Amino acid sequence: MLSRRIVVCLDVAGGRVVKGVEFESLRDIGDPVELAMRYEAEGADEIVFLDISASHEKRATLLDVARRTAEGLFIPLTIGGGIRTVADVGNSLRAGADKVSINSAAVTNPDVLTESAERYGAQCVVASIDARREGEGWRVYTQGGRNKTNLEPISWAVECVNRGAGEILLTSIDRDGTRDGYDVELTRLVADAVPVPVVASGGAGSPSDIVEVLSAGHADAALVAGILHDGQVTVQEIKRQLEDAGLRARNVA
Amino acid sequence: MKVAILDYGAGNLHSLAKALSRAGTNVAIETDAERALASDALILPGVGAFSLAAQSLAPYIVPIREALSTGFPCLGICLGMQLLFDISEEGEGEGIGIFSGRVRRLEGRRVPQIGWNDLEETQGELFEASDLRTAYFANSFVCEPSDLTSIRAWATHEGDRFVASVETQNVVGVQFHPEKSSTLGIAFIDAFLRRLKR
Repeated sequence: MLSRRIVVCLDVAGGRVVKGVEFESLRDIGDPVELAMRYEAEGADEIVFLDISASHEKRATLLDVARRTAEGLFIPLTIGGGIRTVADVGNSLRAGADKVSINSAAVTNPDVLTESAERYGAQCVVASIDARREGEGWRVYTQGGRNKTNLEPISWAVECVNRGAGEILLTSIDRDGTRDGYDVELTRLVADAVPVPVVASGGAGSPSDIVEVLSAGHADAALVAGILHDGQVTVQEIKRQLEDAGLRARNVA
Repeated sequence: MKVAILDYGAGNLHSLAKALSRAGTNVAIETDAERALASDALILPGVGAFSLAAQSLAPYIVPIREALSTGFPCLGICLGMQLLFDISEEGEGEGIGIFSGRVRRLEGRRVPQIGWNDLEETQGELFEASDLRTAYFANSFVCEPSDLTSIRAWATHEGDRFVASVETQNVVGVQFHPEKSSTLGIAFIDAFLRRLKR
């Protein structure tokens, strides 16, 4: 039986891990290679580097970071942020990523999912979907939440899988950074609709939020960032609570 | 000691190369299988699709089969394990066939299987030395060996029980990614390399 995964997300800009404070200033919190390896040692199941660099030049440094990370990290590494073409996917994989997450480009050019999956296999193609509640339902946004699309996340997730995605990374824009808990309802609707793993993202405030999205939300994995970086909780503590709740977790001390 | 990773296309060979070279092993990434066979062991990595990989192996399939069936050491990972069998449902092409049997699609609602899965009924010195019990998988296809005595581990995805590792002579196949299975996965690779030195 598959274990539920704890995926640690590191926001990277210009080769450093940063933390946004109210979208204005970015605070440096460390070296991505060191942090990734530290989280592996703590029991993280996967690492995601999300490139939030504004410029193309700074993005190139992420590939160098990935290369250095891959030399010492022996759990899967996903790279996301600014991936537009099959060539970007190939470059990321060659640099040391195991999976590549594609967000805005999947909406403007869904063929990038299909071509990447045909070339490199569905298991390395992650469709990243940012959704915001709207009335009774939800709406897909791109460009880091700035651009509203006419897509609805559940059918869009199904479409992404039909086009080749092997995993869905689902972020609730409403919950992101709030620590109020994941959007469990949205996660469950998407997880029940697609035949691939769903990674829930946005809103983790405590281990019990993670337990909830993995049980009631039917997610395969939970993306966690802030509460780990702040030292509010450790990966081990999260995993202990998963096991206490009857969820299978790897590497519980 | 020198081992060669056979590069039959795209993907991430960095971590695998680094995992192999940790203990001071010389690692070469080769696109030419004959040059790879001039090293001390052949590593078939786990990236790409069966038919494309089989296509790039095709010119060398006879010498590879000959070498592996006469004791040349080999570690096949994920797709690399599948290439050690005869044929695959995934696509056209001939495998190396050192294990007789076919590669079939994994059954279950969620395919590909992506994540950490428990190994069952592990046996053999590589599992004993590493104590690897949970490993990282990323696959849509699995192997069905006709010789059940070659099986060294099983795993189950949803209701589908499948072979997670096989071994014959000096050839080891693993459906999981030891290079992505953290400390104990690296210990598994180290155990394979230690055996080469004997």
